[in-house]
Amino acid sequence: MLKIDRRIIFLVIGLCTLLPLLYPVGLPIKISSEVRGVYNHIESLPERSVLFMSLDFDPASKPELHPQAIALLRHAFRKNLRVVTMTLWVSGTGLADQIVTQVAKEMGKENGKDYVFLGWSPGNTAVIINLGQNLYNTFPSDYGGKPTKGLPVLDGVQSLKDVTYMVSLGAGNPGVEAWYVFGKDKYKFEMGGGCTGVMAPGLYPLLRSGQINGLIGGLRGAAEYESLIDQKGKAVAGMDAQSATHVAIIVLVIICNLFYFSMRRAAQQHSQVGS
Amino acid sequence: MDATVLGAWVATGLTLCIFSFLYKDNPLFKLAEHLYVGVSVGYTIVKAYDTVIVHLIVKPIVEQGEIALLIPVAIGMLMLTRYVPKAAWLSRYAFAFIVGVGSGLAIPRTISSFILKQVEDTVRPLLSLAGGDGMTFSMNLLDPSSSINVIIILIGVISVLFYFFFSIEHSGPGKVVAKTGVMFLMIAFGAAFGYTVMARMSLLIGRLTDLIEFSDASYGRPTLWLLIVTIGMLIVLSRRTQGKPPQES
Repeated sequence: MLKIDRRIIFLVIGLCTLLPLLYPVGLPIKISSEVRGVYNHIESLPERSVLFMSLDFDPASKPELHPQAIALLRHAFRKNLRVVTMTLWVSGTGLADQIVTQVAKEMGKENGKDYVFLGWSPGNTAVIINLGQNLYNTFPSDYGGKPTKGLPVLDGVQSLKDVTYMVSLGAGNPGVEAWYVFGKDKYKFEMGGGCTGVMAPGLYPLLRSGQINGLIGGLRGAAEYESLIDQKGKAVAGMDAQSATHVAIIVLVIICNLFYFSMRRAAQQHSQVGS
Repeated sequence: MDATVLGAWVATGLTLCIFSFLYKDNPLFKLAEHLYVGVSVGYTIVKAYDTVIVHLIVKPIVEQGEIALLIPVAIGMLMLTRYVPKAAWLSRYAFAFIVGVGSGLAIPRTISSFILKQVEDTVRPLLSLAGGDGMTFSMNLLDPSSSINVIIILIGVISVLFYFFFSIEHSGPGKVVAKTGVMFLMIAFGAAFGYTVMARMSLLIGRLTDLIEFSDASYGRPTLWLLIVTIGMLIVLSRRTQGKPPQES
């Protein structure tokens, strides 16, 4: 068993993922307090408040962060919030534009009035600091080349200090941590986060200490958010497959450990007999 | 052909090429890998050129007369002197500027966010034991702010810090504390590995979801056809490799 061809393990994992996607069971999804934190805060915002979203990821993290972005935008548009979006990842510019445009169109929102996509600006963390001083200097025009000054969606917004709530969906650096360190900690606005599963354990200390008020972690977090807004999408559809693969991995770990310990005991007994 | 359908065929083909690595390393995988790197770099260069050079430098200077922008442009140009050995020393001014400004911005903010705030959170609950309701002690393990969890975190922080304190020998009571620290570290690694597994499976789910979607007749069933082509090519490549003598290392 310990010398099993790795391709058999790939096949088992592949089947455990594929079969639940083809024949979904619909396992229940429990909502965690960290995801509810982001949802409750957006739910408590009055109409036309400004939600600032930074989509800090590229296509490599699309399966986890795309559903999160879709769910958050649907929630924000349903609440009639003004949504200001941007990205700190140059390789994610096209994807971010496509996500924002797609959800806005689906919800019947108008570019410049209800939402704006500012695009990407160079400088990583320096962009966050610039945004805290003057949004119009950092982004003189939006992604489509329209001047940002005078856009109805930015009425009364001069800098990050005028933002009601900020959410960074980050796949790495710059991402949630950078927005906290150079944004929230300096300019004092309320902030939540979304991230890939790999990053989530590293962000829990920020959540516990109240430095961020909510965290959507990986595909599971996205599924929880989709359940909260009652618009089930790709994340919820993937949860059965996620559970099945986790069970398969747990079973493989247990079997391999059993074989390892039994072989070690057999080797010890063999050496005792030999001496 | 519709752009969406063409995109579906390209995405399916490249996904299957990458997945073919699970069987073994092969030219199909290398083709997709090199394409990914090339497209990513090309996209980044074009976006950076358009956003930075055209929209943030040339247009403001030429159309709005913002001459002050020439200062950061000059500092940036100094970096290019690294390609001219005799003038390479000039690039040090640009790097000094970037390192100086970067450190000045990052160090105080990082200390404030990741050290002071976290220390404050670690010690705060011990003080809050004597609140408005008098001495209260909550044993709810599911509540992150309960007193029992506060004590667990405190023990974890102290024992892990002690484990990395190598100036004294870990023996006697010190050994118990260091072992406790190791246990906390193992639990943290386990949690991180669990989340990593979840993340990697999510990526697989994302690709398989697309492959299922692209097996639809409205796209021309690229998943089915390209899967047959990929398997066929792997068989051909495998036979060609079998006929060749092994390469000398």
